[in-house]
Amino acid sequence: MAYVATRGGERAIEQSERLFREEMGGFDRARVKEVKKSLPYLIDRVMGEASLYDEDLAALALAQTGGELYEAVLLLRAWRTTQPRLQVAEPVEQETLFTHRRISAAFKDIPGGQVLGPTLDYAHRILATDVLQGASYAPEPVEPATNPSPAYQPSVSAWQAENDLLDPPAEDPTKGNDIPDLTREPLLFPSKRAHTLQSLARAETGGVLALGYAAMRGYGQAHPTVNELRLAEAEIAVSHPDGRQFSAGRVKVSQAEVVDKKGEKLGIGYAATFGWNEVKCISAATLDLNSPGAEKGSATEEEFFLYHTEGVESSGFCIHFKLPHYVTFQSSLDAMRDAKAKKAAKAPEPAE
Amino acid sequence: MSLSTLTKPWEAMSYGFLDGSAKRELRRKILKSVAVPGCQMPYASREVPMARGWGTGGLQVSLTLVNPRTRVKVIDQGADDSVNAASIRRFIARVAGTPTTMDTLEADLIQSRHRIPEEILREDQVLVLQVPNPEPLRPVQPNMSIARQMHADADYGRMWLQLYEQIVRSGRVMQGASYPSLVHGRHVMTPSPIPRWDVPKLHMAKHLTILSAGREKRIFAVPPYTRVEPLVFSDVPYKVEEHGALTCTRSGTTGFFMNEIPQDDGTSSFEVSDSEWGVKTIRARDRDGESRGETWYKDGEMS
Repeated sequence: MAYVATRGGERAIEQSERLFREEMGGFDRARVKEVKKSLPYLIDRVMGEASLYDEDLAALALAQTGGELYEAVLLLRAWRTTQPRLQVAEPVEQETLFTHRRISAAFKDIPGGQVLGPTLDYAHRILATDVLQGASYAPEPVEPATNPSPAYQPSVSAWQAENDLLDPPAEDPTKGNDIPDLTREPLLFPSKRAHTLQSLARAETGGVLALGYAAMRGYGQAHPTVNELRLAEAEIAVSHPDGRQFSAGRVKVSQAEVVDKKGEKLGIGYAATFGWNEVKCISAATLDLNSPGAEKGSATEEEFFLYHTEGVESSGFCIHFKLPHYVTFQSSLDAMRDAKAKKAAKAPEPAE
Repeated sequence: MSLSTLTKPWEAMSYGFLDGSAKRELRRKILKSVAVPGCQMPYASREVPMARGWGTGGLQVSLTLVNPRTRVKVIDQGADDSVNAASIRRFIARVAGTPTTMDTLEADLIQSRHRIPEEILREDQVLVLQVPNPEPLRPVQPNMSIARQMHADADYGRMWLQLYEQIVRSGRVMQGASYPSLVHGRHVMTPSPIPRWDVPKLHMAKHLTILSAGREKRIFAVPPYTRVEPLVFSDVPYKVEEHGALTCTRSGTTGFFMNEIPQDDGTSSFEVSDSEWGVKTIRARDRDGESRGETWYKDGEMS
């Protein structure tokens, strides 16, 4: 046969994946454990964007993809989507969060106190190059405070609501499986509140930062003040079939409330996500703060920012341009050449 | 009664990858889209083990429709051996145990990106088209919620205006692929980025076409024997690509959609885009047997 529709394509794709994997070599449970232990903030970021809280699976995804973050998140999302829903946990209230860090930029001091907790905010960002010379990096031990701050604290916005500085959002009585679930139904606009918060919770960190930063710089109407930023652990309370409630464990969560004056009251923006990811929460809350009344098509309008911060979709579409497009290209060439020919045929004779 | 008698043994993956609830939703949305031809139905669109934009919408439909006897053909740009077509075909076969084929006539289900095969599809065949952007109004209205309202109102004025402006500026409609078409006299749809050559194949076709956009979470359909009319002005007729007189340098077949291959000497040669049609033509030429079916185009003209 002169024209063989060879299986060249199949051979090529298999070898290309082998090439990628050969670079990294194999990996085992020990590697996964090491990733989990040494890169907790990366694990947090991946768990948040995957909206799947499992440190082992997140570490596995990172090991399997060599740290290609978009690939790691897609692996976890594709795994997550096929899993059955066994339970919907009880809602988590702010005052029940086991809080590690909680700061407010709005007041010098707040009820419960400013709790710095773990942060690199005040670290001098000097690369520890001596480690490469063979020194080992041993952090200074933490000295416990004589009066530890309480682990459970009210939210700053609760105090503001009491003092008539802001109107807290109306309580939503929706429970259990009736809570709209972004992963089980399409996102439509105007978006349901649950969908907006879920979408921001699993948004891609860099994307949220880019659009949030645009809003902060002045492309938004509101200027955020960090009312409260919190890193905490949330108890996952579920029900046994016999009716008893029990804890299925704790998950790390972060949340941010940002405010801005809106007339005589404060407007409030909110975001929360799995894992500790302050940049994402502040950016997402800023977008939420700016979204009411934002002009259609502006970066702070919910349809714009929810669509464009979805990391699995945006990264997938971006890399799809690598696929062959020669049929569509051919179709465009045909229209272009025909238009050109028509123009040439119509052109007047050049003057003598 | 114990928990183990009530449940199935644990399996790492459901048949056809998607779980039951995902397939149920998809079936319902497919039925809805068949009931209202050309109307975009939103669906949840699950993540699948492939990147968004790489055929995940088409894949979800295929995975929902197949059973272990469904013979599946997958093409990309008309070719069965294109890398992503190979990848999707391998995936469907792997998770659903389906037999595969490259022969259009043998296939029960054809998943395709950017082409409709040249051989006429039958009533018992389903064509699944991958759709990057389901919204024909996107160029005139990028906001999806407003565009949805415009469809509800059959408000296609801006669409017509855009086509008119192209004729004024360039002397012709400049739309290449994805030519906007009116389905069943009601909804304007994008036929997905198939060339203009392929759009007439959808009109009153015997087969069911399902178009699915995974990333944009929209599904729509052209049921059998449904009108699909490209948007044209009565005095400016619809024009397909001028490929009717081109001949494939590899197979010698003439009168089908071609790929242009630039040559070192500055000229072009052409290869038939429907790769399996090319193979069949060569087989017939080499007297290996005639396996070609009826085609939509005859002597380069839509019949």
